[in-house]
Amino acid sequence: MSDFLLTQMINYGAPLVALILLLGALGLPVGASAVVIAAGAFSQQGLLNWLHAAALGLAGASLGDALSYAIGYFAKDWLARRFSNSAAWRGALASFNRQGGLAVFLTRWLATAIAIPTNLIAGGSGFKFSRFLLYDIAGETVWVLLYGGLGYAFGSQWETVSDFLANFGGLALGLILLGFGVRQVFKWQKQAKAEAQTT
Amino acid sequence: MTRQQKVWAFILIALGAALALFFGLRALRSAMRMRGEGPFGKPPPEVQTDVSLIRDWMTVPYVARAYQVPPERLFEELGISEWENCKKSLKELNDEFYPQQEGAMLERAQAAVLSLQAQRETPDAP
Repeated sequence: MSDFLLTQMINYGAPLVALILLLGALGLPVGASAVVIAAGAFSQQGLLNWLHAAALGLAGASLGDALSYAIGYFAKDWLARRFSNSAAWRGALASFNRQGGLAVFLTRWLATAIAIPTNLIAGGSGFKFSRFLLYDIAGETVWVLLYGGLGYAFGSQWETVSDFLANFGGLALGLILLGFGVRQVFKWQKQAKAEAQTT
Repeated sequence: MTRQQKVWAFILIALGAALALFFGLRALRSAMRMRGEGPFGKPPPEVQTDVSLIRDWMTVPYVARAYQVPPERLFEELGISEWENCKKSLKELNDEFYPQQEGAMLERAQAAVLSLQAQRETPDAP
């Protein structure tokens, strides 16, 4: 997060937190997680009202997510024309419709680096908006309370916890990719065996 | 498994392992630094006195609040007017008042906070 944004957070408070989180949910590199942690620390110092900051931040983040879902939704026809013949794409859509809720929930606060692609896929795959919003708000609430709470607990030393959580997010993403890769290997091997037995 | 599937599996596993290793080590290092801080360390002092925590992005009123010194006195000590500088960061103030000396405003703010805190501790001093 830039020093400029931190200064403006001090000057303009919770409404600016909401705006930054909205822009972050649309894909702008604003360091949204660090903003939430800093907002928690500023609340502890009495600079922000934690309830206002949490409520407005949650509203901003959820609105941004809904907008990026809409981008995916309106690109749906183009995606269908482009990839409708691809079995892999159809499989991915079916898989997202089965497990998309969990993906939306976890990418709000754990693997935040892939939150925006998840929103776009949710919108583009026809994942129901009401379901998306439910999991989205649940995940964003965990994000705001957990990250903001840590900022509150660490107060003036919030930069240390921000550094830890940024690295922890990268670790979580790595483990998810690793787990997915290993799972796919087992799945493809099982398919190959089944095909060998039928022939 | 087809050749294409093998390539995909290799990419996912290699990328995942590399990310996990890289960020895992960095997270471990950050966690070690966190051990003596926040809820894991000593309870914070009633009045913050560690001026090394003052940063360039902070404004003068914010520093005054964090270190519990009167903002108008801090502006006075820094020799700048309050009304037109209250929303500027120390970095912006430095660029405006000390363009040739990087970090000068930060150092002045640290010294001013220490001086004001010392004055509060000894109110009878002349």
